[in-house]
Amino acid sequence: MSEFTASETPESIAPPPAGFSFENVKRNAAISASGTTGAYTQAKAMKTGTTIVGTIFKGGVVLGADTRATGDTTVCDKNCEKIHYMAPNIYCCGAGTAADTEKTTELIASQLELLRMSTKTQSRIVTACTLLKRMLFRYQGHVSAALVLGGCDINGPHVYQIYPHGSTGKLPYTTMGSGSLAAMSVFESEWKEDMTEDEAKGLVERAITAGIFNDLGSGSNCDTCVIRMDGSIQMNRGALKENPVEPLRDAIKRSDRFNFPRGTTAVLSTEFVAHKTKGLSLDDVDVVTMDTN
Amino acid sequence: MSILEYNGAAIIAMAGKNCVGIAADTRLGVQAQTVACDFKKVFKMGDKLFVGLAGLASDVQTLDQLLTFRKNLYELKEEREMKPKVFSAMLSSILYEKRFGPYFAEPVVAGLDDDGKPFLSAMDLIGAPVYTDDFVVSGTCTGNLYGMCETLYKPDLEPDDLFETLAQALLASVDRDALSGWGGVVHIITKEGVTSRELKGRQD
Amino acid sequence: MAALANSFLSPESSRLKPGELSTGTTIMAVPFPGGVVLGADSRVSTGTYIANRTSDKIAQLSSKIFCCRSGSAADTQALTDYVRFYLQQWEVETGRNATVKVAAHLMRKICYQNKDNLSAGVIVGGWDEVDGGSVYNIPLGGTMIKMDCAIGGSGSTYIYGLTDALHKPNMTKAETVAMVKKSISHAMARDGSSGGIIRTCIVDESGVEREYIPGNQLPYGP
Repeated sequence: MSEFTASETPESIAPPPAGFSFENVKRNAAISASGTTGAYTQAKAMKTGTTIVGTIFKGGVVLGADTRATGDTTVCDKNCEKIHYMAPNIYCCGAGTAADTEKTTELIASQLELLRMSTKTQSRIVTACTLLKRMLFRYQGHVSAALVLGGCDINGPHVYQIYPHGSTGKLPYTTMGSGSLAAMSVFESEWKEDMTEDEAKGLVERAITAGIFNDLGSGSNCDTCVIRMDGSIQMNRGALKENPVEPLRDAIKRSDRFNFPRGTTAVLSTEFVAHKTKGLSLDDVDVVTMDTN
Repeated sequence: MSILEYNGAAIIAMAGKNCVGIAADTRLGVQAQTVACDFKKVFKMGDKLFVGLAGLASDVQTLDQLLTFRKNLYELKEEREMKPKVFSAMLSSILYEKRFGPYFAEPVVAGLDDDGKPFLSAMDLIGAPVYTDDFVVSGTCTGNLYGMCETLYKPDLEPDDLFETLAQALLASVDRDALSGWGGVVHIITKEGVTSRELKGRQD
Repeated sequence: MAALANSFLSPESSRLKPGELSTGTTIMAVPFPGGVVLGADSRVSTGTYIANRTSDKIAQLSSKIFCCRSGSAADTQALTDYVRFYLQQWEVETGRNATVKVAAHLMRKICYQNKDNLSAGVIVGGWDEVDGGSVYNIPLGGTMIKMDCAIGGSGSTYIYGLTDALHKPNMTKAETVAMVKKSISHAMARDGSSGGIIRTCIVDESGVEREYIPGNQLPYGP
């Protein structure tokens, strides 16, 4: 359709279509197949080679996560957030493709908010779990989000594990991600029923630490989130910081060669553009008093 | 080879003291063959907002158009400027919408908030955002760029020092990457305005 | 290697997508005069890792109809969710309790219509006023077979002979429960993809009893 024709509804006023857009799929398949030196490899997305855990305790739930995001073997983010908000009483840890965990939890959080508005009732963990599993099952594992969902509702504290293909399990404690084996070994040896909040927090921190140090895909800090039966939440960003960057950076004796004096770089041209004063103010227009006769 | 490496690119964004900088090379290649050395990869989206797009050149330009369009639409509807945080979220959504048939571009966003604080973010090709307060990189030599930035970065650099750091990090990185280089640009964004400089780089 | 490893598994698990959870399983259901006994192990695995060691593979479809799941965890969960939903709707519309036959036919229909996209082998069993206790086996392709003793999952291959020998017509409830527990114990001992605890579900006119046997108290051996 030529850009000079305006027979259809203008794009500017039509609401954007909902859901995924597949308009580039054919093109991309053609590109992948067309490589002159063999086919182009699939462009790889950012993964969160992750350790995430969740457990219940006497008066609530503790969730935990490491903070490393990787792209292939490069660390893309040294301090990312993997404990996502779902509802005031529900949080969710995500492992797998970073974009998928981020957007899936965001989408379901929004659906839960709308549901709360129409029912005027606190969200339940099962509801969040069902919405998530339906979405993931629909995409048959192509949306690769492995989740640990936890929270408190009228039925008590709950932890669910949700796999990318849409299967779920309700458990007293669970681990997910590439560091799940390391973390599970801690849980299986130390977990007990009816722990106190401090015991549970300590256990979660130790489980995540096991992942951080024994799994290459996990690293940096440990985040925890406590959701209590009384409705209070304690988000601990950097509950444990065993791998701080600052001392490492400070320890480097910075050679003066790295402090470039101004003018070091050869410049071909320089241009300065001042910001235009933004927006209209009354100074820009002639004020005409309204005729009130 | 990944299609993200078809045309070649190297982009860095770095925070300074009440300023932020974004630097990119200017090469456009078709695999090993250089086609142009004045290719634009950093786009001005607002007074204090820039986006750098590394990846397949056709998608870089498509995304630039789409982003400009969506940002203008927002500003007309809302009658206010788009903040870097909002822009970054919008970009992330645009990319994730095409989760199963993505644009082959990895963006970095650099801007100044209302209170003049630096904003930096980067994304993979399907919109997984990374927010940092020091630097973000993208392109065909991210390994080199990360290495240079980790070495040269210092917190709270003044605009002129930020320029030198960015320029040296970029030039050193692209000298060890066959797919990027052939000149560069650096934009330094301050409260007052934007200083854009063209760099003299190696032509090999 | 993946293909090789898969060739040792049951037909259900050989069709799993990479990384998919499987209930590489032993499941079983046996009717007795006046009721039915369903049993299952509790292991859910991804490759060699046990994702859940105490799962419940006996899903409730209506008040007195249950279903044992094997194959893909995601597929069988979605499947039982749909059947539960349709059965509930059917019960509201007709004002009657669903029969096991209706539940099994519904399950068969969905399994058959989506057979290219599903890896699910299920056994539907329960009690109703019309037929008393009854069991229907619905393996991979979507066939439905009414059985006197149904077994399924990767572990079942090890106990065909055992169940043939143990099963007798008109067993009492206690005999049936003992037979189910023993059979599953033996399958769990030989099958690497089955294990954990044994969960059972006994359904008769008076109601439903759920039990489990811990993994260290299995009735294994002669």
